[in-house]
Amino acid sequence: MRLAMVSLGSCLGCQMVFLSMEDYLFSLISENSVPFAPFVVDRKGIPEVDMVLVEGVIRNGDDYRKAKQARERSEFLVALGTCACYGGVPGLADMFSEERMMRRRFGADASFEGEPQGVRRLLPVDSYVRVDAYLPGCPPPVELMRSFLEFSLSGTLPSREGSSVCSECAVSGVSLPQAGPHRTTDAEAAEKKCLLEQGFLCMGPLTRDGCGAVCVSESGIPCDGCRGPSDAVLKHPALDPRAETLRRLTRATGKKPHEVQDAIKDPAHSFFRYCLAEALLRRRRPGGSAPFLYRLGERE
Amino acid sequence: MPEILIDPLTRIMGNASVKIVLDEAENPRDARFQAFGYRGFDQIARGSHIDGLCPIVSRICGCDSLFHQLAAATAVENALGVEVPPEALRLRELALWGQLFERHAVSLTVHSLPDLLFPSSDPGLRNIISIHRVDEETVKRLMELKSLGTSVLKEAGGRAVHPVNFLPGGAVRDISADTRRALIDRLNEARPFLIETGRLVKLLLRRNEEAVNALGTDEAPSLSLRGEGGMAITGTALAVVDAGGEAKEAFGLEEAAERLREDNSPHSHIRSVELSGVGEVRVGPLARLNVNGGYGTALADEELEEVKAHWGFPLHRNMIGHAARILEMIHAWERMVELLALPGGEMMRRTLNPSGGSGEGAVEGPEGTLLYGLVLDEDGLVKRLSITTPLQFNLKSLERAVLESARTVLGSADTGERALVLLETAIRAFAPCIPCGVH
Ligand code: SF4
Ligand code: SF4
Ligand code: SF4
Repeated sequence: MRLAMVSLGSCLGCQMVFLSMEDYLFSLISENSVPFAPFVVDRKGIPEVDMVLVEGVIRNGDDYRKAKQARERSEFLVALGTCACYGGVPGLADMFSEERMMRRRFGADASFEGEPQGVRRLLPVDSYVRVDAYLPGCPPPVELMRSFLEFSLSGTLPSREGSSVCSECAVSGVSLPQAGPHRTTDAEAAEKKCLLEQGFLCMGPLTRDGCGAVCVSESGIPCDGCRGPSDAVLKHPALDPRAETLRRLTRATGKKPHEVQDAIKDPAHSFFRYCLAEALLRRRRPGGSAPFLYRLGERE
Repeated sequence: MPEILIDPLTRIMGNASVKIVLDEAENPRDARFQAFGYRGFDQIARGSHIDGLCPIVSRICGCDSLFHQLAAATAVENALGVEVPPEALRLRELALWGQLFERHAVSLTVHSLPDLLFPSSDPGLRNIISIHRVDEETVKRLMELKSLGTSVLKEAGGRAVHPVNFLPGGAVRDISADTRRALIDRLNEARPFLIETGRLVKLLLRRNEEAVNALGTDEAPSLSLRGEGGMAITGTALAVVDAGGEAKEAFGLEEAAERLREDNSPHSHIRSVELSGVGEVRVGPLARLNVNGGYGTALADEELEEVKAHWGFPLHRNMIGHAARILEMIHAWERMVELLALPGGEMMRRTLNPSGGSGEGAVEGPEGTLLYGLVLDEDGLVKRLSITTPLQFNLKSLERAVLESARTVLGSADTGERALVLLETAIRAFAPCIPCGVH
């Protein structure tokens, strides 16, 4: 197969994972060709390929042109990483209008030679071009990338079906109610016990599985949702990451719903850290509109 | 006006292009490094609780993620007046050296070694994939260096690309004694190859002397954190030395933050930064060396002697940055072994009571000084955030290097594709990080 890698507005983390596949990387490059990957090889334009991995967000016209070219010149297009799949952390920029964000950074009348036009709102790649397969994760764990590529380079694209991080998380329950809600910086959690039940803001129930709940099991910190929304969240309009997490925290702490809600003063950053730009969730963000979002995320 | 455009630049970290404007006589008149795609990280982090700050800024750059996390965490700790337990500081340092080691390994192996190894071969062959076809073993061994850095980072940080083990106040978990031993064994195993690679890089630079001399010499003052008796990767003391190596200024974090002067660049979203009272400064592996005089560990300092003997000191030729990178990897290797040999910690963190305040944080990222400034509101939410990255300091120097190189390589008979390749080589000497620069 001919494989290309295209990077839009990104942190390059997904490409670092690609380079971390060790032995599989070497067998991949021996058995396939990689004619285009600016991070690694020198070709300047995207050639015709069988599969393209697109990493990052469409922040401006240049990114859009690249995504479009990638689509036109490739049989399959894979959204690589949570940025490309759901907007990722850069998707938090959807709290602001592009214009306002630029004005704040560069001043009122700034103009730049050769500057591509910005996009008015930040949206995931599939809002612009058709995506054949998704490999979310910020970044996707290396084993997952490996098996994904093994499958897809043999001609079968893996599906997006899946469960939640909790399904992979080996923790036991605690007796309720517990104190909280807690933030990771304010309190220490007991090991091997469900963090959400201990009153920590864990996004595991609403986050796509596939990482083995590594943050909880290996580092003892809550899942912050880096694999993006689970299938259930994408499919069921009533399942909202914010409302559902608040509900569970209310149950865990035995407090009144409004007390829990008031305790979390950064709902956009906490509940939508990796998926604020996801169009399927946008309708469900409380209010759903830009003015409300300013209130969600921005404090003067 | 005639111009030469290289778009996109390849084998670098991120998306950018370079434009060389020529005058009527077709002589290079101006070099413009163009990088767009500001993602607004200083703004999108606003309103976040401090526990979300590290994961958010981490996504500025996957190659330097922990540097952003810890500059931000330090700023929070300074704002709240928290003392981080020494064991946690040691674990952080270990993880930072791991990531620096990994990042340098990628920029050397994947980005720059192909130019040094095959200066006159077809550009299509100058990449690790093509080299792998003819010399599988060497590429594998070089990539093992990257994987060594990745492993240290992963063990100390919980995850490799965006670590999760560190938070304002300290770290969640220490690494076990068994893991420490296993990592020390792996490091020891890699030692001969690392030193061999160091010698290879120096040899290749000597062999490419012409390119080393043609692709940019810059005598702007150097800025870096200053260590005690060697290099520091975290700290609060900064220093500037001039072209002759004379100490010009020494100051603390707060003063540094006050003296930063940011300005729009006319053709890029990377805002250039100067230091008031000094003007332009260079940062990065060469600047660190110029400021600190050496590394402060035996092996790295020994290998440094040859560089000093051959190219003098302080160092101003951009291409020698590659030597400084591999020497830093050797230094990182030594520090990692030292830190891993220390016993693990009992107390890894302090829990924080969020309140208002403001603070700064600085680290030496792989390609230079990274500064964070932060204001928190009374709930412990981020009210204001400023991020100053290495490429912002180096932007003008990089453009000068391209112009200087263009004047030499475009002027000679040797034009065409080869000249463009050399211009990109000049840029890779900076190993610029575009995602950080634009952020
Ligand atoms: S998904 Fe995460 S790791 Fe991948 S490019 Fe985006 S921010 Fe980086
Ligand atoms: S809520 Fe979090 S800690 Fe609890 S089971 Fe799910 S992922 Fe694990
Ligand atoms: S546990 Fe959550 S935050 Fe951690 S890797 Fe898995 S999805 Fe990402």
